[in-house]
Amino acid sequence: MHWIALQPDTPADAPANTAADTAVDTVVDIAVDAVADPLTALAWQALPFTPKVARVSLASPAAPSASPVPEALLIEVSASERLFGGRQALLAQLFKQDGPFVQTKRARAATALIALARLQLTPPLPATDDLPLATLLAARPHLATLARVGCTTWGQLRALPRGGVVRRFGAGLLDTLDRAYGLKPDIYPWLTLPEVFDERIELHAQVETAPALMFGAQRLLKQLQLWLQLRNVGVTVFEFGWTMDARRSLVQQAGQGDPSKGALTLRTAEATQDIAHLQRLLSENLARLQLPAPALYVHLRSQHTEALATHSAPLLLEDVQKGDSLHHLLERLSARLGPGAVKGLQTQADHRPEISQNYNLKLENILKYNKNDISLIANNQFNISTSSQKNKNKVSEVKKFDHLYPDVLYPTWLLHPPLGLAVLRHTPHYQGPLTLLAGPQRLEAGWWDLARAGQPPTATPGLALRDYFIARSEQAGLLWVYRQRLGGPAQWFLQGLFD
Amino acid sequence: MNPLPDKAIKPLSAIDHLWQASELAAGQGQVVSTGDAQLNAQLPGGGWPVGALVEVLQAHSGHNDWRLLLPALVQTRGVLVLVAPPHMPFAPGLAGQGLAPERLLCINPPTVFAPAARLWVAEQALRCKDVAAVLAWLPQARADALRRLQIAAAEHRKLLFVMRPAQAQHESSPAVLRLITASPAPSAASAADAADAANADPLAADALVVRILKRRGPPLERPLALPARPARLGALLALTAQARARRAQVAGGATASSRVAELPGASQVAAQLLDFPLPPLLQEPHGALDRASA
Repeated sequence: MHWIALQPDTPADAPANTAADTAVDTVVDIAVDAVADPLTALAWQALPFTPKVARVSLASPAAPSASPVPEALLIEVSASERLFGGRQALLAQLFKQDGPFVQTKRARAATALIALARLQLTPPLPATDDLPLATLLAARPHLATLARVGCTTWGQLRALPRGGVVRRFGAGLLDTLDRAYGLKPDIYPWLTLPEVFDERIELHAQVETAPALMFGAQRLLKQLQLWLQLRNVGVTVFEFGWTMDARRSLVQQAGQGDPSKGALTLRTAEATQDIAHLQRLLSENLARLQLPAPALYVHLRSQHTEALATHSAPLLLEDVQKGDSLHHLLERLSARLGPGAVKGLQTQADHRPEISQNYNLKLENILKYNKNDISLIANNQFNISTSSQKNKNKVSEVKKFDHLYPDVLYPTWLLHPPLGLAVLRHTPHYQGPLTLLAGPQRLEAGWWDLARAGQPPTATPGLALRDYFIARSEQAGLLWVYRQRLGGPAQWFLQGLFD
Repeated sequence: MNPLPDKAIKPLSAIDHLWQASELAAGQGQVVSTGDAQLNAQLPGGGWPVGALVEVLQAHSGHNDWRLLLPALVQTRGVLVLVAPPHMPFAPGLAGQGLAPERLLCINPPTVFAPAARLWVAEQALRCKDVAAVLAWLPQARADALRRLQIAAAEHRKLLFVMRPAQAQHESSPAVLRLITASPAPSAASAADAADAANADPLAADALVVRILKRRGPPLERPLALPARPARLGALLALTAQARARRAQVAGGATASSRVAELPGASQVAAQLLDFPLPPLLQEPHGALDRASA
């Protein structure tokens, strides 16, 4: 058996590590505040190497609990030593991997309790029999009595007659001592990786503005990243919430729960482990938010996760495309500018020009359409090669669209809604008089809206009775105008620009 | 004394990164053909440069953008990002010219944030690996902002076109290529005469005049005149003009008919038209047209 006891350590009281070969070593790694809960993060990090990871309290059960209770982590590695190529190799892997590390203090020993005892001491370390009794948790309530009989170390306690010790201090003390010497098996409640990530932290100070919540959120996100990596999944929906100071007067809103709680649910189109992206999304959303009261706690909960799709990376360096993916771009733009600012286009089967295209294509659909295309980008972004095969492909592509849209006589820009034109001397004017070059092309559509609504024709927006013309303006070039055919004086509208 | 070894003496023309003032720069990197032989011949490398800022200046925004850029954009693969376009692109019209409308992404930042938001969007789009080209309409942009875009485009190897008003031609610009487009100047005659001339010869009147203000090469003295629209639209207009002239001839208008009879290219255009079916309503101008244009 080989036990490791671990404890996150603050730099202030970290003892200087002089002896290289002692069983206690302090390792300085990256930022202490990197994750929300360092001990849990450490436990999660150890889980890939051994299932025997436990979290134990260092405070004696009888003593009044100080806040925060000092805790330590116990890791037993003997069963997986062979798999990872020996004890030294395993320890090296366990403690030298990338990740959100904290500064730790650790001690190694043959049993869990010896390791814990060594963790509480500073070098030089005594032999097992000479360990002070204060380091044994079960002996803490009886320390004064034991000291009066001249018993201060583990060895001295062990030398006392067993029957007398059991009668005086109960069976628990000897039982613990037996476990400490490895005479009885030592069982702990082993930790497992939770199914759902749900962590909450208390903020160091009251936070008044929503963007300042990012400091707490960053630590939670780091921990989320570790959890995602270990679970080998990507997150698609997660909730970031905060608890506000309940003493402030908060308006209870109808249909809402606790007014002191607020939450933001964020979605991304593709499952991701990329914390930088989630962080940008969250900060864009928080930037548009106002807190009614100072926040005290923040929490992060994963609501939906998906297995990550794996990609094979290209072998040649020049094939690697630099930059973000499209879904990151779309989400960042709509988070900053609002969802209405980003628009995709799609044609729809309708003769009325304003309905023949869908302006508000959903982001998912933009992604879905472009995904097929994007897989080709990696091979050749600019189809400029002159090889005949590629040209053939290009031509067939154009043919395909020709078939769908038999006349190329549509304009390239659309004015929506159409612009009403002034009529002077029976001629429509737009930056000067217009000359009609071609037309009319008659359009009668939307009568089905009429039948459905049962309203007079002029009141129905869907009905279109129009004659389209291609017109020229001296200033503005070729225009696409139409004349409304609905009784009354001729009404002219400008709907498109040829370019 | 040893003579210099042969390989040390190289003609200047053999050095790639050196070009003489009288010739166009070559070997600049990737280019995309503009789809027009006349314009290709005047651009260094023979097309729009990839990974460089191309500035297109024009008097009216949104007039000649698609005409100039669509043939090149059709050849690319990936998303095309339009930053603050002046109008909404019309999907069926673009699809008819071979561009899948689903590839377009229109981004209209709320007017409160412009123009800083436009620059931000353009730069974000350039940094996305799935984007093939960025078209940005930036009426107000300072040279340092444009330089930032130029660097982003160069780093990520994207096509970048910035559309700006014609007044900007006197400002300094970091663009590698600057063009100014215009329709031909209206004739000095009266408005009625000009309209009449346009009726008679739509092809000539709709030429797109392109001047190259800046390129890696000698200045271009004469502006280029490119056909201003797709061949089929031009053919339709020519045919309509012919039909109208014929009617005028029947009515006894001698001067107009003689002019149309000499119209160059009209007969070839009519022959082209036989290749594809016209919408029936467009084949013969109607009485309504006459009433309206009278």
